[in-house]
Amino acid sequence: MKHKLDQLQKEFESVLSRVTDRAALEALKNAFLGRKGKLKLLLKEVASLADEERKTIGAIANEVKEAFEVAYGKKERELGTRESGEQREREWMDITEPGRAPREGHLHLTSQAMEEITAIFSRIGFESVRAPEIDWDYYVFESLNMPADHPARDDWETFFVDLPESKKGKMVLTPHTSNSQVRLMEQVKPPIRMININRTYRRQMDITHIPMFHQFEGLLIDKGVAVTHLKGVLDYFALAFFGGGRKTRLRPHHFRFTEPSFEVDISCGVCGGNESGACRLCKGGWLELGGAGMVHPRVLEAGGVDPSVYSGFAFGWGVERTLMMREGIKIDDIRILYKNDLRFVTQF
Amino acid sequence: MGQCALSWAGGLFAAVASDKRRASSGRLVLVTCMHILASYNWIKEYLHTDLSAEAFAKKTTAVGNSVERMDNLAERFDKMVVGVVKELKAHPNADKLRVAVTDIGKETVDIVCGGLNLAEGMRVVVGLPGARVKWHGEGELVELGKTTIRGVESYGMICAVEEIGFEKLATGEKDIWDLTALTDAKPGTPIAKALELDDTIFDIEVTSNRPDCLSIIGQAREGAAVLGATPVMLRERQHVAGSRGTCVLEIKEPKLCPKYSAVLIDNLKVGPSPWWVQKKLLLAGHRPINNVVDITNLVLHEYGQPLHAFDADTLEGEKIIVRKAKRNEKFLALDGKTYALSNDMLVIADAKKAVAIAGVMGGEATGTTPRTTRVLLESATFDPVSVRRTARSLHLTSDSQLLFEKGLSTQATGPALERAVELMVELAGGTVISEVMVEQATAYTPHTFPFDPEAAKRLMGVELTDKEMRDILSRLGFEVHDGQVTIPFWRDHDIENSVDFTEEIARMYGYDRFPSVLPEGALPQGRQVSALVWTGRAKRALAGMGLTEMYSYSFVSEAQLEHGGFNADNAVKLRNPLSSELAFMRPSLIPSLLTAVEANQSRVPSAALFELAPVYLLHKGDLLDEPLCLVMAVYGKDGRQAFLEAKGFVERLMREMGVGELSFERLVGAPHWHPGRSAKLLLGKRTVGTIGQVSDDFMRAFGLDVETVLVELDFESLVPLFSTAKSYQPIPTFPSVKRDLAFVVAERVEYETVVALIKKSSSLVDAVELFDVYRGGGMEEGTKSLALHLTFRSDERTLEAREADAEMETLRGVLTNAFGAIMRS
Repeated sequence: MKHKLDQLQKEFESVLSRVTDRAALEALKNAFLGRKGKLKLLLKEVASLADEERKTIGAIANEVKEAFEVAYGKKERELGTRESGEQREREWMDITEPGRAPREGHLHLTSQAMEEITAIFSRIGFESVRAPEIDWDYYVFESLNMPADHPARDDWETFFVDLPESKKGKMVLTPHTSNSQVRLMEQVKPPIRMININRTYRRQMDITHIPMFHQFEGLLIDKGVAVTHLKGVLDYFALAFFGGGRKTRLRPHHFRFTEPSFEVDISCGVCGGNESGACRLCKGGWLELGGAGMVHPRVLEAGGVDPSVYSGFAFGWGVERTLMMREGIKIDDIRILYKNDLRFVTQF
Repeated sequence: MGQCALSWAGGLFAAVASDKRRASSGRLVLVTCMHILASYNWIKEYLHTDLSAEAFAKKTTAVGNSVERMDNLAERFDKMVVGVVKELKAHPNADKLRVAVTDIGKETVDIVCGGLNLAEGMRVVVGLPGARVKWHGEGELVELGKTTIRGVESYGMICAVEEIGFEKLATGEKDIWDLTALTDAKPGTPIAKALELDDTIFDIEVTSNRPDCLSIIGQAREGAAVLGATPVMLRERQHVAGSRGTCVLEIKEPKLCPKYSAVLIDNLKVGPSPWWVQKKLLLAGHRPINNVVDITNLVLHEYGQPLHAFDADTLEGEKIIVRKAKRNEKFLALDGKTYALSNDMLVIADAKKAVAIAGVMGGEATGTTPRTTRVLLESATFDPVSVRRTARSLHLTSDSQLLFEKGLSTQATGPALERAVELMVELAGGTVISEVMVEQATAYTPHTFPFDPEAAKRLMGVELTDKEMRDILSRLGFEVHDGQVTIPFWRDHDIENSVDFTEEIARMYGYDRFPSVLPEGALPQGRQVSALVWTGRAKRALAGMGLTEMYSYSFVSEAQLEHGGFNADNAVKLRNPLSSELAFMRPSLIPSLLTAVEANQSRVPSAALFELAPVYLLHKGDLLDEPLCLVMAVYGKDGRQAFLEAKGFVERLMREMGVGELSFERLVGAPHWHPGRSAKLLLGKRTVGTIGQVSDDFMRAFGLDVETVLVELDFESLVPLFSTAKSYQPIPTFPSVKRDLAFVVAERVEYETVVALIKKSSSLVDAVELFDVYRGGGMEEGTKSLALHLTFRSDERTLEAREADAEMETLRGVLTNAFGAIMRS
């Protein structure tokens, strides 16, 4: 029996040594290792041996089987290497040719920023609302504690629609998104957490100003809302939008519809907040994000909210400005933003 | 800071904007944030402090006086020294240049100079190598070196005023700055020392509610409050008064002029101011003119109260009348321009004529001249709104108007007038010849408001003791008694409400000390505005398909409307547009998008664009409608291909948005659409939009060279139909059999008719897919070859090949009969 196994092994090695292609290798596999192969037949004979001998011979048979498989595997790899070498020559291609590009679409820079800002505030419960872009004076100015003779209500600063006034005053192209404040308070009782992103309009156009731009307005009204909470929300946004390592600061400022009012600054990402003033992008290590403040009691009253029970904060920032501040994008002439030049839009 | 006080800062590059504004004060932009150039030395005349300029800047910024730039003059004038011209030699190679042998202290050097007024013995500013100057007064600072000018070595430069930033100092053209009369400092003395320029200038942003901070004293008051110091009390002026002169004051408009005061001064000698006055003005951004005018400007900057000096000998009738202008009254102002006034503007007049536009600008005829000896010095208060509106409608701005339009206290007139009188006597040799004449309709009473410390603490979220809060208020000049706060006069216009005290306390306490806390409390309901949600999804889907988003102004011109076929009478018109290009609110996105195609066609020969934005429609008796619209534009050489691509986009979009199949109904007789390539878009029976190539007329109107196909969708009305609902179709159990079918039919045979017939004729057809359409070469004119993949399937069993073949045979017959189709295989 052992002899037969030896014979078989020799025969296998001899055939294997002559194998030069996959077909021969496959034939060899069938002949020796297959279901009806020579090894299988021999192993059946082993099964019929007496116990003692079967153990010994069985062990040898297994060794032979293993040796076959190893030798077969080695041969297979040899063939593979050779074939791959041939394929390399035969099927060589120029991998530096440009990839076949799917048609490339682009969202406008402003849309991208609006989407991202909305997402951040939505994580802390601020719901997006929709407010008119062209609204009555009452919501735009009067209810926001801006008296009739306030400069913003002059023709020089704000666009007016050439239509008759209503009981709520003139029809105004909103110069800020704050018209959503009293509008929402009229519709919803506190607690309020709102974001309003919209087009806004001001009568200005030069290399740093455009007559239409975008703002996002945040409003939170609840019991016991304090300056510290405003700081918390602004820090949350700054961290989420600008990334870690940036600091914010509040600087006292003045707006009619908030009291106290602030400018919100963020430490400069370019110079890392260097106060020496050497940075070309920022002023003394800080970049100005936008305005914020505690909702003025008169505004709460206008919205039917009792200022002795509720308080709130609001903020309103330019979308384009905030985005460019993060990316460090410097645009020489801001008017290009809405000129629809594909060479510009497709960069983003 | 762009438009800060109007409302939230919306300017895009506001930092740049504020500089611009300062640079061109004549330009009318929204001037609601103001700046002051404040000398630290000057502030320190009213505030004792040892703080460095940097440390002071940081502290005062933190409480709201944002120092945006600091100009360290010692650095600015580094390597500039006093030189004395010893000898002037001709330049061997240049007629217009000379070589000045100049004593600069340690040595005598040759400096090449073209200054016309250069003379031996003259004291001059020498910029040594290493000094930084403005070359010819323009551009960035340039560092000087030792150079050779036309063959002669020059050690630095003898400077003209504009080269060292004092361009407002009047000198002759091509003159260098002659210091002879200003200093007798030894040659080699640093300029900063010789001219007492060892100072730091702060450029401070002041918010519109704080005109009091637009003054040196205002900045000193704020500084004192921050530092917990006591501001230096205003000096008691020696009350000088005479009785020789008099003038009757008559205020006809007490609402617009709550207070008018004036004094007469005689024996003045008009001439240049001493250097210390000129220096203060220069560093504050003012132009020195003569001692009388300089004094009014100095006091304006120091006290924040504008004054005006009339040449009293040009006033007629010994009378000042404050009245409204006559309709179309002509007035020649100090800027040399004649203004046509309207009858809502306030003027100061004498018995016969207007002599000043109140608070804005004096008249040319009554201004101070070198011959003036007697002046009437005015210190008054005017209504801020009236001043602002007058200045805006006349397009006329001035330092005085910028202050008045923010609201000044009637209490401010006295101290400023006294200070000016003192200087007139001291610097111009004047004699006071009248009482201070005052006309005031209502006596001043200080404003008071109640103060609730608990409410203040609640709003801040920070624990402060009542005493801490009271201390802060009193440091700022407020007087607190029994829960009532009396307002100092300089805050008359800005403190309007009890809540204002919270801000005063909070800013002085310091916002950097406030903790940052995320609000707790119940979250809102989780409402979503579906129009906003779907707008985002649609934009993403379109960009994903390869379209590029356009973003246009909401404004259009009348021409754009007309080209787009809109009647301007029905469009929303602005009352005060910026220009005729931006005069209407767009009723459609199409004109903007075609304008975008036109703008890009020469550089990008084909593209797919979209815009999703509101349009603006009149709604009688109410606000406008602002429905969202979606327009796509696919353009290129081949309109047919563009049409099919656009159709693919809109069909795909509708699938993404979860609405049913669109159907297309050929448009007839629509003038703006291509007569053969346009259709209505229908969802069921409802028209939701249009697809089509733009007509040749339209192309011409918009200057298009490319064939452009538009899809316009009424997005707003589709929003309720959009859905994320998913439905499940079981996967077919039995395999399908596929066959191809190609045949030639007449061009006018529509594909959908073909498909409908195929589906009607064979119940086993599961799907029909067009994979090729061929026209041209080898084909009869007016015919096309269609090639289809057909899928046959049964839900009950596995189809056999012969069954499919039998169906194919049937279909061939049907197609031949119905359309005269000629089979190709």
